[in-house]
Amino acid sequence: MKRTSFGLALLILIAGLGAASAQTMSYAEAISQIATVCKNDIARYCKGVPLGPRLRACFDANAARMSPQCQQTTGVVYASITRRATAQRDIGDICSADILTLCGTSFADANLVTCMAGLAPQAMSPRCYQTFVDTGWATEKARP
Amino acid sequence: MKLHHTLAIGALFCAAVVTAALAQQQVNSGEMANSLAAVSGNNRLAMTGVQMRQAVLDYIRDNPGALPPRPMSFPQLEGLTQFVVEVEFDFNSAVIKPSSYRTVGAIADALHHPLLLGYGFLVIGHTDSVGGRQYNVGLSQRRADAIREALIDPFGINPAVLETVGMGEEQLRDPAHPTSGVNRRVQLVNVGKKFCFGRSGEQFLCQ
Repeated sequence: MKRTSFGLALLILIAGLGAASAQTMSYAEAISQIATVCKNDIARYCKGVPLGPRLRACFDANAARMSPQCQQTTGVVYASITRRATAQRDIGDICSADILTLCGTSFADANLVTCMAGLAPQAMSPRCYQTFVDTGWATEKARP
Repeated sequence: MKLHHTLAIGALFCAAVVTAALAQQQVNSGEMANSLAAVSGNNRLAMTGVQMRQAVLDYIRDNPGALPPRPMSFPQLEGLTQFVVEVEFDFNSAVIKPSSYRTVGAIADALHHPLLLGYGFLVIGHTDSVGGRQYNVGLSQRRADAIREALIDPFGINPAVLETVGMGEEQLRDPAHPTSGVNRRVQLVNVGKKFCFGRSGEQFLCQ
């Protein structure tokens, strides 16, 4: 029992490390992985639980009896969703100096994203670059 | 009683109604973001969600009957950009079906799109005519609220930019076929810029 949970923790840690450098998933892609992989677990343990904080709490409460695939998927998916949402929320603060210097503008609109997407990664501070990658905006089609 | 209840989010771009997605198709969040982008930065809804809810109840009180005599009009929504997708719910409930999780995720992707930074949105739920009018207002309100709840957590939309209204069956899309599925929908409406951004990225309420 102890070994299983250690193995699982290691697995989640590795998945988490992998995700730290990779791109975050779109929210649509992320949540549809849960809908697909956890379909049976939701029907069994979380039937009638609304999508949102209560579904996540249900996954946490039933982690021990959910299928390993669903358990792993919820870990990876919620980590990705949280990273993207945090980056989208904080990028204005984290990149304010870079934005002012490199784009000559303030954090305001889609023009900024076009400017940032055109910059060489080395031009930005590492933290700003990683945050920009995490937002997923580099791959979005930004329109002026 | 609702057999299977689907809410849809309806897309009107200015006056033109564009139904962008059917239940089985995957919703494209980029397309949704483009449709919801403001035509002019100054277009703003001149009433609150609370006022809209009251207006719906007043409309039912003033226009009694088994069915609304005519679709309730909301001239305040004209000129605002809107979008429609379908979200499926459990029978007679506000629980979103897992088959519609992707759609809710796509709405979150769209609302987080750089084009829509700082804008406020109205989530309006619509039902068909099966069931009482008052009941349907309540059901569509709970369903719109369920979408809002998921958009906030886990998808990180700022609660301050999302309001909800349950329109019930008061704006049937196909009044000639009041029980038809095309009536079941949720509209997303861009109600105008709410937050502006300072030079160091800080957000503040726009004037």
